[in-house]
Amino acid sequence: MVFTDLKGWMPVDAVVVDGRPGLAWLEIDGVDFVEPFFQQTVDRFRANHPELEERFTEFHTLVQLEKTFDSVAPTGFIFHSSRCGSTMLANACRAITGAVVVSEPPAVDKLIARLITDVDDHGTKEKLYSVFVRAVVKALGQRGSGNERHLFIKFACCSMSQLERIQRIWPNVPWVFLYRDPVETMVSNVENLPAWLLDEDRRVLASITDTSIDAIAEMTVAELCARAIGSFYATANRVANDRSLLLNYNQLSAAEISNVMQFFGVTPAASEMETIARESQKYSKSPSDAPTFVADADRKQQAASELVREMAARWANEPYQLLEKKRLGIQ
Amino acid sequence: MIMTASNLTTGAHVVVTDFDGGEGILVDLNTKRYYQLNETAMIVWKGLEQGKSISEIVADFTSSYEVEPDRATLSVQRLLDSFQTYKLVSAG
Repeated sequence: MVFTDLKGWMPVDAVVVDGRPGLAWLEIDGVDFVEPFFQQTVDRFRANHPELEERFTEFHTLVQLEKTFDSVAPTGFIFHSSRCGSTMLANACRAITGAVVVSEPPAVDKLIARLITDVDDHGTKEKLYSVFVRAVVKALGQRGSGNERHLFIKFACCSMSQLERIQRIWPNVPWVFLYRDPVETMVSNVENLPAWLLDEDRRVLASITDTSIDAIAEMTVAELCARAIGSFYATANRVANDRSLLLNYNQLSAAEISNVMQFFGVTPAASEMETIARESQKYSKSPSDAPTFVADADRKQQAASELVREMAARWANEPYQLLEKKRLGIQ
Repeated sequence: MIMTASNLTTGAHVVVTDFDGGEGILVDLNTKRYYQLNETAMIVWKGLEQGKSISEIVADFTSSYEVEPDRATLSVQRLLDSFQTYKLVSAG
């Protein structure tokens, strides 16, 4: 197979085949990413087209392909501390005409995880993985209908730890960091364990929490979550600059989402604002028949266990408060 | 043997991609090996791609960096030697 055969295909995952690392591709050119998560779109497409087969390429093919893609350049990036409204924000971006919103694509998340686990002292692997990440995003932003004008990428929460490296890849792309009160975030994560806390490659969380694999094996979920989100807040506080916007969950409203769009350089039309207002009333992570969104800060605060409160106080509250001060301009 | 850039061509089996404001990565599709190029190596590589002579590449060097022509010539020659050692270029 010659590499040009893959034009219009999308990298749906980063995989290892027969010991060779590379990408799994699926011909989903022209498919709208209407589901809250990229993987949900891929799953829907696979279910509707069971006859289509994936193709595998090693990464060197990606470097060749990058030059051939006709793609939309990234408009804005969404980072978050998990369970804090970032999916709602990504869904709101979909209301913009010509927007392509790619939410937590596995190939990007896994390559960024390699930036955590595989980099070497002389920086060659860092550059290599960065080139791969850039190329994968370019592949995901390929024009299909020709009407695509904006590309928004929502990263997985653990990617926050690699924010500085991601900024080196795209120094001029504006980004928003969305976060929430640590106790409320932890209650949500502990009640319904997310994939990032269950990741079998414990090197990622060991790096994020600045501990060891052995150390995190001894931690409760509450402690691990508190340390991780504390790290995300601290990273946002350290790296935030004039290309970034800090946004607390408790600010989220249609008007504030409009401000985020403006920050990304996009002015929503009146009809798009109506859609944003409507979508922000839905539960964001359900792809269809969405139940109505219900504010749950009070319930989560009341549901917090003593352990959750203790771990939040020890590992997350201080960086959260510092980040809030930065957002509010309090020295 | 002293090589001149004019008799070297970049391999068709080599892909280059820019990164980080002037640096780059070369991919040898035959060996599937990757090479990291710093800014100066990228100047030489791009010069080869454009079919420039060694003196033209040296001129690119000296216009970008405060370096004497003799020293720049030596640096370019060393980089050309390395490219040939790794079979990234071939004598045309």
